[in-house]
Amino acid sequence: MSNQDATVNDISMAQVAESASFANAPVAMSLRNVSVAFNGRTAVRDVSFDVPQNAVTALIGPSGSGKTTLLRALNRLHDLTKGAVVTGDVKLGDIDVYGGTIPTTVLRSRIGMVFQRPNPFPTMSLYDNVVSGLRFNGVKKKSILDDACEQALTAAAIWDEVKDRLKAHGSTLSGGQQQRLCIARALAVEPEVLLMDEPTSALDPISTASIEELIGQIKNRVTIVIVTHNMQQAARVSDQTAFLLMAEDRAGVQIEVGPTSKIFNDPDDSRTLDYIRGRFG
Amino acid sequence: MTTLHIDNSHHIREHLRERASATIKRRQFVSRLMIALCWVAIGLAALPLGDVIINLFSHGWSSVSSWAFYSQLPAQPTLVTPDAVGGVSNAIAGSAVILGYALLGALPIGIGIGVYTAESDSRFAATLRLVVATMVGAPSILMGLFAFGLVVVQLGMGFCIMAGSFAIGTMMLPVLAASTEIAVRNVPATLREAGLALGAKKSTTSLRIVLPAAITGIVSGAILAISRAIGETAPVLLVIGGSQAFTWKAGDFGEALPFMIYQDASSSYPAQRAQAWGIALFIVIVVFFLSLTARIWANSKQKERR
Amino acid sequence: MSLNTSTVSSPSPVTNVEGRKRPSTSSRGAYEYVLLTASALFALIAAYFVGTVIWRAVPAFREQGFGFFSNAMWNSSFDPTVPSQFGSLSMIIGTLITSGIAILIAVIVGTGTALAITFLLPSRLRTIAATLIELLAAVPSVVYGVWGLIILTPWFQYTVGPWLAGIPGFDWLFGTTAGGQCYLLAGLVLGAMILPSYVAIGREVINSVSKELIEASLSLGATQWQTLWKTVIPTARIGLFGAGTLALGRAIGETVAMSMVLGSALSTNYQLLKPGATLAGWIATQWGEAQGSNQVPALFALGVILMVVSLSMSLISNRLVARQRRAATL
Repeated sequence: MSNQDATVNDISMAQVAESASFANAPVAMSLRNVSVAFNGRTAVRDVSFDVPQNAVTALIGPSGSGKTTLLRALNRLHDLTKGAVVTGDVKLGDIDVYGGTIPTTVLRSRIGMVFQRPNPFPTMSLYDNVVSGLRFNGVKKKSILDDACEQALTAAAIWDEVKDRLKAHGSTLSGGQQQRLCIARALAVEPEVLLMDEPTSALDPISTASIEELIGQIKNRVTIVIVTHNMQQAARVSDQTAFLLMAEDRAGVQIEVGPTSKIFNDPDDSRTLDYIRGRFG
Repeated sequence: MTTLHIDNSHHIREHLRERASATIKRRQFVSRLMIALCWVAIGLAALPLGDVIINLFSHGWSSVSSWAFYSQLPAQPTLVTPDAVGGVSNAIAGSAVILGYALLGALPIGIGIGVYTAESDSRFAATLRLVVATMVGAPSILMGLFAFGLVVVQLGMGFCIMAGSFAIGTMMLPVLAASTEIAVRNVPATLREAGLALGAKKSTTSLRIVLPAAITGIVSGAILAISRAIGETAPVLLVIGGSQAFTWKAGDFGEALPFMIYQDASSSYPAQRAQAWGIALFIVIVVFFLSLTARIWANSKQKERR
Repeated sequence: MSLNTSTVSSPSPVTNVEGRKRPSTSSRGAYEYVLLTASALFALIAAYFVGTVIWRAVPAFREQGFGFFSNAMWNSSFDPTVPSQFGSLSMIIGTLITSGIAILIAVIVGTGTALAITFLLPSRLRTIAATLIELLAAVPSVVYGVWGLIILTPWFQYTVGPWLAGIPGFDWLFGTTAGGQCYLLAGLVLGAMILPSYVAIGREVINSVSKELIEASLSLGATQWQTLWKTVIPTARIGLFGAGTLALGRAIGETVAMSMVLGSALSTNYQLLKPGATLAGWIATQWGEAQGSNQVPALFALGVILMVVSLSMSLISNRLVARQRRAATL
């Protein structure tokens, strides 16, 4: 599933042809009538779809369509915002995310997140950054931490670059390396789902390509939900695509969800086609 | 290699999940406890501050609300007339005079330094900036020692209002310089460039365009410096000598409000201690009024400009 | 070299090996000379300030030698055959004890308060609390002195003191007799006094910690406290340290409140319920009777110690807060 040789502007059938293979995959997360409101004002309304396991689901749509808001509802990051209310059902496997059956901290360690800008902890070394999640969760054993560090950095395809300077600080890395460090940090706690909020928006094209390649590699160990404003990126990396749009009351609504190949080649809704063809947004 | 990592991965995951579930209760408990302690901290911080404010009003209000407080000279209570403490008119005048002379000297110099350090890249300006930043943190009593050494002894003026003004003025200088520098720096570069582009000289631009634009910041900085100076006790304590009379003259012994608090607070007469509370309340009201005005004015000006 | 980090400065100067040169070719007008004069005058004042304080202290240092730092006696002799003895040891230790208690309170309570204001209070209350804290930072220290002397001293004398003195096994710390004016009370009053300025800066520093770091921490499964303790505080540590240094500088230089609540006793008994003296406080309490005697240079010598300590702390804290401002922008 390597798409490195495709040019950025070219969305061809070949790129998305095989992406329907997840059709019978188990469901990692399911969303039913999920709405998010801030101080009574609805930002996302009635979103329902399933996130297939070990596949990449892309959330696309113009700005203001609530992609990021929806993503942040999945690991309860809106809990931090006063006045934010999430309604509907979000399930991680059988667990009701908002049901209170498991503590939010445990839940968040099972649904990791990578952010728009690389955000390594500035006062920690590379090593401490990667194992910080394990330490938060009570792991103290040096051998486990060492193994997890190497493992996560290897998975994030950055081990060879940094293995000799694990004591250095994150700020010594380039932007792309920092973002891979952050991916390693998120992977180290072995999450079932990894949420990625426009993970390449602050990166140069070469770093972007390497992160996209990395996404293709890590999806065999983690389910990925990625927000992107870049349709080519969605086409290149995802297996399933959800298209959101801002409704008349400025709330984001789901227009269409389906296999990426279908959304990009033969969408059911004309608005999806308009967006894909660049008519608005 | 791949198999090795898969085995390893499994091992790590097991350990992680086991540790996470073993520690979650404790971690949550610690978290709730510490968050509760943060609430306790905010309570502990509010307690003394609240107590100070409450005592100020309950003990000081009767003085502040009486006309005699402002109009009369202080009197010395005796066993026969324990409540005859008079007013503090001379101290109010003294504080005003000391502050007035201090501002006369400190305002132009302080603003001058601030504009200079904001507009110059010279090494002298850099040094000056460092000196200003360091002097801001100098304890005020040192300014009292300085004024004593220079004005009282070296210039031979003896204990006097002028020496107090010198001490207070020296104390205000770095504060004024620092706030002016920030205010001038905050003037948008485009405004300055517009002036220069019109062919105005650098000095004209600075005087006619930059300074008027920075005036809000400069004035609110000055107000903050004044509100800090009003309550300063240590420097005036060392050099003004103390007086029961009403005077404006720079060479006379002087009296100041905080100095009078210092003397009254340890009196054995309850009425004099109440007067100390009264002066303290008076100062706090003035200081609050000044800082709030500065803040509100600066905010409204800022909105106006946008 | 230059501390000029502003984005809004005059047309960028051409830098060469010799130093900086201004591109402007226009001659300096009267206006520039006015500014230069003011600045030069200030430089002169600053130099004269340091010079005067040191110069006036020289006789004391010359007379007492190293004994000025190791001696706890303070006897002004009017008999020329008996040498005067001036030592600053009591005041140095008194300053250390009171400032130590104060900074401990300010940092622990203040950091907690700053965290609570930033992360726990609802946003409307947050602004009010922040404004209130900044207003309270402007309350003159003599007001705290009045409060400490009139309200707290009797309370300490009759309630807190006897209770602490009665705790068995802590004689070494508190002593066995209760006092009103004492180190502990002075430390507490000083702590309450420097708390608002610590919180004002600390809150600003904590507020500047990027929200993304907090979210990253939470997303890894950290609890709220783990996020504050392991992510927020370490990221803000330089600025917090700077705020602490600034507060400590204020505590060390505090004068009138200390002379009001610590009493003015010189002893080498440093139990917390005993009265004592601080460097600045002692200058204020002795000033009146020192006039015309050889005590004045000795009091100036205390001022020199105070000046060296507070100016260097001011320098350090400025550097630290500036460094944090630069570092906080991710």
